[in-house]
Amino acid sequence: MKKIQLLLLFCCLSILAVAQETFPRNDVQDTRMGAYAFTNATIVVDENTTIEKGTLLIKEGKIQAVGNNVSIPKGYTSIDLTGKHIYPSLIDLQTHYGMPEVKRATRNRGASEQIQSKTAGAYNANEAIKAHIKGSEVFKIDKKAAGTMRKSGFGTVLTYHPDGFARGTGAVVTLAESNENKVLLKNAASAHYSFSKGSSGQTFPVSRMGHIALLRQTYLDAKWFGSQSTRPFADQSLEAFISSQNLPQFFEAGDWMNVLRADKLGDEFGVQYIISGETDAYQRIQEIKNSRATMIIPVNFPKANDVEDPFDAEKVSYKDMLHWELAPTNAGVLAKNGVRFALTSDGLGKGDNFMANVRKAIKNGLAEKDALKALTTTPASILGMSNQIGSLKKGSHANFLITNGNLFKDKTVIHENWIQGHPYRLSPLTKKDFNGEYALKINGQSYRLEVSGGAKSPKAKIIVDDTTNISVKAKFSEELITLSFQPEKKAKGKIRLSGWTESDGWKGQGQLVDGSWVNWTANSKKAATKKEDGKKDKKKKEEADAPMGQVTFPFKAFGTTTLPSQKTYLIKNATVWTNEADGVIENADVLIRNGKIAQVGKNLSASGATEIDGTGKHVTAGIIDEHTHIGASAINDVATNSSMVRIGDVVDSEDDDIYRALAGGVTAAQILHGSANPVGGQSALIKMRWGASPEEMKIKNAPGFIKFALGENVKRSRSSNSIRFPQTRMGVEQVFVDGFTNALEYEKKWKTYLKLSEKDKAKTIAPRRDLVHETMLEIIKKERFISCHSYVQSEINMLMHVADQFNFNINTFTHILEGYKVADKMKAHGAGASTFSDWWNYKWEVRYAIPYNATIMHNEGVVTAINSDDRNIGRRLNQEAAKSIKYGGMGEEDALKMVTLNPAKLLHLDDRMGSIKVGKDADVVLWTDNPLSVYARADKTFIDGKIYFDIAEDKARRATLQKERARLIQKMNAAKKSGAPMKKGGSKMKMEFHCNSILGEETEHEH
Amino acid sequence: MKKSFYLICFCLSFVYQGFAQVPIPVAAQSSPILLKGGTAHLGNGQVIQNSLIAFDKGKLTAVQAASTSMDEAGFQVIDITGKHVYPGFILPNSKMGLKEVSSVKAMTDSRERGTINPNIRSVISYNTDSEFIPTMRFNGILLAESTPEGGTISGTSSVMEMEGWNWEDAAHTVDVGIHLNWPNRISRTFDFATFTRKEAPNKNYQKNIDGLKDHFAATKAYMAAPSKIANVKLASMEGLFDGSKRLFLHADSPKEIVESVRFMQQQGVKHITLLTDESALYVADFLKENNIPVILPQTQRVPDRSHQAVDLPYELPHLLTEAGLTVSLSHQGMESQARNLAFYAGTAVAYGMDKEEALKTITSNTAKALGIDKRVGTLEVGKDATLFVSAGDALDYKGNILSHAFISGKLVVLPNKQQELFERFSTKYGHE
Repeated sequence: MKKIQLLLLFCCLSILAVAQETFPRNDVQDTRMGAYAFTNATIVVDENTTIEKGTLLIKEGKIQAVGNNVSIPKGYTSIDLTGKHIYPSLIDLQTHYGMPEVKRATRNRGASEQIQSKTAGAYNANEAIKAHIKGSEVFKIDKKAAGTMRKSGFGTVLTYHPDGFARGTGAVVTLAESNENKVLLKNAASAHYSFSKGSSGQTFPVSRMGHIALLRQTYLDAKWFGSQSTRPFADQSLEAFISSQNLPQFFEAGDWMNVLRADKLGDEFGVQYIISGETDAYQRIQEIKNSRATMIIPVNFPKANDVEDPFDAEKVSYKDMLHWELAPTNAGVLAKNGVRFALTSDGLGKGDNFMANVRKAIKNGLAEKDALKALTTTPASILGMSNQIGSLKKGSHANFLITNGNLFKDKTVIHENWIQGHPYRLSPLTKKDFNGEYALKINGQSYRLEVSGGAKSPKAKIIVDDTTNISVKAKFSEELITLSFQPEKKAKGKIRLSGWTESDGWKGQGQLVDGSWVNWTANSKKAATKKEDGKKDKKKKEEADAPMGQVTFPFKAFGTTTLPSQKTYLIKNATVWTNEADGVIENADVLIRNGKIAQVGKNLSASGATEIDGTGKHVTAGIIDEHTHIGASAINDVATNSSMVRIGDVVDSEDDDIYRALAGGVTAAQILHGSANPVGGQSALIKMRWGASPEEMKIKNAPGFIKFALGENVKRSRSSNSIRFPQTRMGVEQVFVDGFTNALEYEKKWKTYLKLSEKDKAKTIAPRRDLVHETMLEIIKKERFISCHSYVQSEINMLMHVADQFNFNINTFTHILEGYKVADKMKAHGAGASTFSDWWNYKWEVRYAIPYNATIMHNEGVVTAINSDDRNIGRRLNQEAAKSIKYGGMGEEDALKMVTLNPAKLLHLDDRMGSIKVGKDADVVLWTDNPLSVYARADKTFIDGKIYFDIAEDKARRATLQKERARLIQKMNAAKKSGAPMKKGGSKMKMEFHCNSILGEETEHEH
Repeated sequence: MKKSFYLICFCLSFVYQGFAQVPIPVAAQSSPILLKGGTAHLGNGQVIQNSLIAFDKGKLTAVQAASTSMDEAGFQVIDITGKHVYPGFILPNSKMGLKEVSSVKAMTDSRERGTINPNIRSVISYNTDSEFIPTMRFNGILLAESTPEGGTISGTSSVMEMEGWNWEDAAHTVDVGIHLNWPNRISRTFDFATFTRKEAPNKNYQKNIDGLKDHFAATKAYMAAPSKIANVKLASMEGLFDGSKRLFLHADSPKEIVESVRFMQQQGVKHITLLTDESALYVADFLKENNIPVILPQTQRVPDRSHQAVDLPYELPHLLTEAGLTVSLSHQGMESQARNLAFYAGTAVAYGMDKEEALKTITSNTAKALGIDKRVGTLEVGKDATLFVSAGDALDYKGNILSHAFISGKLVVLPNKQQELFERFSTKYGHE
């Protein structure tokens, strides 16, 4: 009861002059001015302005004046801050402060799909579009969280409800505890987006590419919806989405790859997001800089791994080790590159110290000025609130910190965090430093009491002689002291003393071991000497000077600091498999210049060319994989028609398997969507440019492709609870027919609209743009080509009929294990084939698969390729092709074409790839042996005339890697020794995607 | 040419009976056979260029150079000049005969429920009508260990011939050994949201080992007890201690290898074969000192960790052989792909291994690892006449084209459903 009274009293006291008059009162009026004058302080007005021995005046929660010649009006409480610093309190833009908890939806293995939204009310068709949520409406003061953040120095935060892809608006609130009405500075301050589905239980979308597709469609829907004064239906999410477009747009993206994805999404709709990243932006700083996005960057640096045991250390990746070392440089690198950014405490766990991590960033290259800017003026300006928060200008909220020195120095303490003119006291402004030696006298007995640890953490011990001490449990405060210790080893208990400060020590009362009460005194003798400080400083300096690792591209093992460059290469005296009319030429030369094949023939010479001896070796065109799932962050989304999702949105340039593919002579590939649905997503065509950014991986001006799929996977054969249409091969056909029919209807609608005069157009509502229909229409118009996952003959036949009905061709049947049964029909239709060499019987629909499939289709005149759909097979496709020599006696040149020229044809890239022909891209492999032999190894792999893989260079990289790992392991061990928090266990590993791999869902390895 | 060859084989060897049937098993060897003039790869590292290989009643009677003359009277002589002859390849740790279409539960018999199943025996489930079997022998695999999987003690395996009317007929060595999966120190969890694998220390590691300890202790007490309550689980373990069964020990990390081998030695297990991967590299000396043969997964796979050399799985057999270990190769994963065993050895050759040494990894070394080397694994007089003739280098794709395969002297049928379908559709399209 008493406590509550005290609390009430405290609350009342905190009401300043601006208290809400509308609120009922349960006491007499107690309105105060809150007028204070802080004098003699070092006042950091903002990162550029510091006033020495200045005065700060505040009243009614606002700053009245700041400067050197400020006279203190009457009625102000004066506080002398000699030796102290005043900073504007910090601002965090990435918080969920005071927001209700969001429970992520989890779908159990094999559970039924949720096709429709379950949100009650007239909201968006997708549960994860929650643009209607207003942060200010669900915000509730959370005193505990506020306390934690104030301790870190924050005074104001932007907070929003972290649920879904479109998350509604954020609110700017202070961390004061008065009440919501008072702390809310700005209601709809911002609009928020993310790549996180949150609480939505709706099955679509499951992948990053699906997230992007849904957001793209939402932007289009909003435009269409908003263009109609009488809305076609009620959708409060879209309404809110539309009305929040003029606010600052924040995107919570994640690692650098997702930052770039978010930025690209924004570019399409003319939105420049303010993007929340991670501590890894330094790994791709050029791309981050080019995005021109303002960033919000955390300081949750990774912990060191426990790598003491060499066997256990093998489980830790080089990437994790190097990132551990370099993550603290992140903010500094951003600043040096002119990227505008704010810092956030987001991502820090319990026990992590925000300011300690900021200081770590400063030790790793971030200028103090930039740190302060990123915590004050930058976030304030992002919010458009520079005149209210972020600096100590007149008129701003009285949000400031009082410290005992430079905020960014290790031992600096925040004494007080004032918010809206109200103090939150963290550590007393004045705290005595009791360091020194005291003569402790208890009942006639004398001891040498030593106090050390300074004002911050004083501790005590009793010195017996040079080598022996007695530990003392001590509690100090301004006025009081408590001590207890065991006077000698044999004593059966402790002497316990309690006392109060005197001018030169303490005195008081205490109890001896036997319980008898005694008087005691402790009088100062001399200052305790500081020991070993010099030594420590020296060690610290050595640590700072130690060499750091370098950023490699990609940022992981076998990455490189210098990307390969185009040179003129002349491969001499090799066996050249041209894939052209010349066939295989013995003792021939190949000249590579400007990224192209410049000359093929005998006895070539070229000035300035780097000669490569090809004696005993073979040269072929680079291997092209028609069907891979490496190099992507996601493979499947799950809408029955997922034609709106694009693998190109989620290319993962950091996949180990890219380098492994290079080592197997692979130069290009089609990353296909998986086979979870009849109509899958759009493909990405890439070259294996190891070290390039995701965008640079893509083949420029490549034609569009899309994945279709038939059979067991798309009808969800393995999930007995699946409710998703279709469940039979009959239904699969209807998905296609329906999709193309609707696309034609869509085209009609648009044609009608576009034919209108400008005048009529202005009076007519434009049809809704639909990404699914548009993609389906591209197929009909032969602007996008189908690669269709297929197994049994009936469905292969069916799809060709569907294509005929809509007057286009199926470009490629992929897998096509029963292609040999309908090869004549495929030939007649004009479809190509891309098949496995010898897989069969791994599921019911492939029990008639035979390793002669490729040979029969090839003999029938079908353009046939061998594909991988598997990272292991993908790195030795030449050998898979060789199996057709064994099974069916295919000729060697034809066999090689199945992994070079034929896939190039299937991908419509044969004008620039697939053979050793003058003018084609210099995507070339030098093999140690006949490329169709199990004994052949790729010696060098060229892409665009650059050497991306070289056996000798690979060896050198292995050696560098070993050295670098050793260095980092030593450094981690040193961190462990110095007591740094450690992480147990190994690194996370990205696992292989297969055709039917669905994120968030367990799948068995199948194809 | 080749197609008509298969067709002839079909017509001559059996009356085609329809799709779901595998080729008809043939009768036992009735007369002595002599393979003349081929290059013989003995499987022990030796090669005889112009060789004479003779066998009768299912056993090899002569393995020699043609320069040493031999009375050919009474022999059915097959001239294999220009061809190569090899001991039948042996596929260890396979699901042969137990698993057909893996996605169909009704067709899968490899994993019994429960964790301690030494009494579970693969041989009685072995399906001689498995369609995989003829495709194995088509590529030179003439023997396979049929192996139960799952749990801590998966069960007892048997070595089967890739031909036979029924499992009794096909059995080569019944109950050859017990497969034991050593507990993992690390528990791996898979995050399906991000498709990443996380590793954390297995909190139950010691508990799992204690469970094994209890089981071994109970077995020994059972063996020693003068009167006992019959217990099939315990009785089935006995062979490990008298040497009649091998212990096939699956262990996945250097520490687990050392701990598990030590454990088994302390328990008095006589013969241990280790099934592991790159982890063996870290403890190669330990394995050599303890004379433990090692069975590896296929070379044709990707490294497990991003900082491992891209070639590590390719090089592994060579590296371990150089370290003095007896190395053999197996296949993990999709059952149909086990037929590529020969090429796994071929890959090892591309990455440093001698060809004949690589051949050992799928013949004599495998026989040693399975404890059946007295009967098979090399071409030596007295051993089973389980061998085949190939047009070329059987470790390479182009050369692995079999003309004859003999299992215990029986000339088995090579073409199967797959060749028949090739023939059928080539004919339909009028291809040559």
